[in-house]
Amino acid sequence: MRSPALAIAWEFRRRHRWGLIAVAGYLLVVATIRFLILEPGEPVLVDSVRFAAVVSVPLTTTFVYLLAVFSFGFAGDLAARHSMYPARMFTLPVTNAALVGWPMLYGTAAMAILWLAARLFAVWPSGIEIPLIWPALLAAALLAWTQALTWMPYGLPGIRLIVAVLCLAALDTVVLLAIHFKAREPMMLAILAPQLPLAYLVARFAVARARRGDVPDWRGLSARSGEIADALPRPRDHLSSPGRAQVWFEWRRHGRLLPALVGLVLPFELALLWLAKDAPAFVFEILFLVLITPPFMAAFTAWTVSKPHPNASDSYGVPPFIATRPLTSAELIAAKLQMAMWSALAAWLLVLVAIPLALEWSGTWSVVKDRAQRMNDAVGTPRAVALVLLILAGFIVSTWKQLVQSLHIGLTGREWLIKGSVLLTLTFLILLGPVVEWIIDSPSVQRALWNALPLILAGLVALKMSAAAWIATRLDRSRLLGDRALFVGAACWCVAVLALYAVLVWFFSTPFVAHYLLALIAILAVPLVRLSAAPLALAWNRHR
Amino acid sequence: MSESVVHVSELTRRFGATTALASVSLAMPRGAVYGLVGANGAGKTTLIKHILGLLRAESGSVRVFGLDPVADPVAVLSRIGYLSEENDLPGWMRVDELMRYSRAFYPAWDDGYAEELRQAFALDPAAKIRNLSRGQRARAGLLIALAHRPELLVLDEPSSGLDPIVRRDILGAVIRTIAHEGRTVLFSSHLLEEVERVADHVTMIHQGKIVLSAPLDDIRESNRVGERVPSLDEIFVAHVGRDAAPAPEA
Repeated sequence: MRSPALAIAWEFRRRHRWGLIAVAGYLLVVATIRFLILEPGEPVLVDSVRFAAVVSVPLTTTFVYLLAVFSFGFAGDLAARHSMYPARMFTLPVTNAALVGWPMLYGTAAMAILWLAARLFAVWPSGIEIPLIWPALLAAALLAWTQALTWMPYGLPGIRLIVAVLCLAALDTVVLLAIHFKAREPMMLAILAPQLPLAYLVARFAVARARRGDVPDWRGLSARSGEIADALPRPRDHLSSPGRAQVWFEWRRHGRLLPALVGLVLPFELALLWLAKDAPAFVFEILFLVLITPPFMAAFTAWTVSKPHPNASDSYGVPPFIATRPLTSAELIAAKLQMAMWSALAAWLLVLVAIPLALEWSGTWSVVKDRAQRMNDAVGTPRAVALVLLILAGFIVSTWKQLVQSLHIGLTGREWLIKGSVLLTLTFLILLGPVVEWIIDSPSVQRALWNALPLILAGLVALKMSAAAWIATRLDRSRLLGDRALFVGAACWCVAVLALYAVLVWFFSTPFVAHYLLALIAILAVPLVRLSAAPLALAWNRHR
Repeated sequence: MSESVVHVSELTRRFGATTALASVSLAMPRGAVYGLVGANGAGKTTLIKHILGLLRAESGSVRVFGLDPVADPVAVLSRIGYLSEENDLPGWMRVDELMRYSRAFYPAWDDGYAEELRQAFALDPAAKIRNLSRGQRARAGLLIALAHRPELLVLDEPSSGLDPIVRRDILGAVIRTIAHEGRTVLFSSHLLEEVERVADHVTMIHQGKIVLSAPLDDIRESNRVGERVPSLDEIFVAHVGRDAAPAPEA
């Protein structure tokens, strides 16, 4: 190897050879189907399910995989503040341009090859004009922006994910709008082509910054409140128990991030109310956006909560400082759950204070009052109040759930499991849209699904309860939880399910919805399996 | 014969194809100062991690105070003071917060002793851990390892890369701990002259196997060449070979 370009290419090839061989194998299979099994020139009638199975799903998965490969996503930490570009490469005697340019070039080439090969080899439905270049350019642009945004150092943990998702979604939206307005290929190229040099410049700036160790530290914003707190007399009281001390630790370590992020975003969202004075419908859309902000943000901050040690070299293992705390793994998890509860409540306190103030100051309070009055007239005061409280409680619980539901994965400390689950989630999210669209477009599928709904729900409940029983047995055998704790936990879960069931029965008092369906929904809605698996995951990591 | 604080029996641990520990057996009597010496990668930290319950015994058994540290971490860890080479104290904490936090876990925490140590180590209570020098961080770690007067003090390469003054503090801590009757110290180091100064029992570990484990006086006596008593360094080289011998630290 005589050049940095070859060395970087070799590293990609050597490290991901099995994945790249699998991609090549897939393309070979579709080419075989196309050229050896199907007759040349024969019109191809491909239904959407087969097309999704053979082309859409593997292609999407491959795209996500290549995205992770060429942005160094398998080796980096998405939630961390520092750049995801491997720091070991910063000491190589090469320019920033080379460090950025070669991975970007290889990624762009890989995306282009993937699209061109898929277009050439895959079986596409007849009668559809398949574009030649712009999808390859879109894939390359998405990769380039992913590289730029993931290699950028950020001031707060978790910000990278939010920025990346928002920017990539914005680019996607522009392209979808262009498709909607039937833009032709030259127009698509005009939109997408400038993205590559632009992303390259941003990536170069990001790598240059990371290379000189210039990582902004916005934790100072929360530290500022810490400085104010310093000026005040510091608490001298002792933390009365190990559990309380651990909750304090978790709160200081992770708990303030969610309220801080929600507090950053809220003013911008609520400022839209001033634009919505003359459009009442828009007011409710803004309020909905505000209400989904805490659970949305929680889904991202959950990454940091479920990581035992974001700053350690082995960032997946439990650091000795925590591992040697004289606490059981179940107590360590309990502290995390409690911290998540306080974090969710703090975020919601901000939202609940900010919304009335913004409505009042923007002059849109009357719109909401009017709608509330109409709902009151339609369903009666008790139901209206119950509905509002239920929705609010649902949002708060959902925020908490988002924070804690990935603990059982993140705390295992197994990189393959964590990254595999991320890949699966991303693939699932990408596929969700087409699947939903397919269901909406197919009345027969809707009917089948509706008829099979009790069976599907019952199957899911059986699965959930079997998993819960297995986990309870493991918890008991490994002595992570005593009999009493297991019994109390099970009793609390039953009470929560019964309470939710009672509310659902009261609310949906209609003969069209069977009560057993509501019971199944209540059982599925109250978290059990993933939460109870968290102590097992931590113990697996803590005592390797 | 005094009871064993640590009892390791036929412990074997593999990481992939590498055998980190091969049928290691060890019994540490109460009140002993055990020096665990060996080259980098010999298996010292792996053995210590088993004693702390951070690694699960794949085969063989580990008992600390007669308990399994994996099955009963609270009962074991609340009686151990531990200072690791990594010294991974949370950087965001202030020194007084670290003391306040750590105190909650140990019923035997001695506030007066903690304050005495803080002053002796010249630690500013308002200083953030991440702003402390490496030596100061080691002192902070030592403070929380000692302030609850642990029955077993485990020091894993504590003075690695530290200046002589901090090393002196660490050795002083070992001496202070053994001054209290019945307290036991497990001290892993590749600085053999330090081990020689404080340990009364030395265990040499090489490629996952214990090559020598005996009271220091016995080791010296059995390796005596005429009138000359060789140093621990020389004895180590004689047992594991010059290539495996740890390089002295500047």
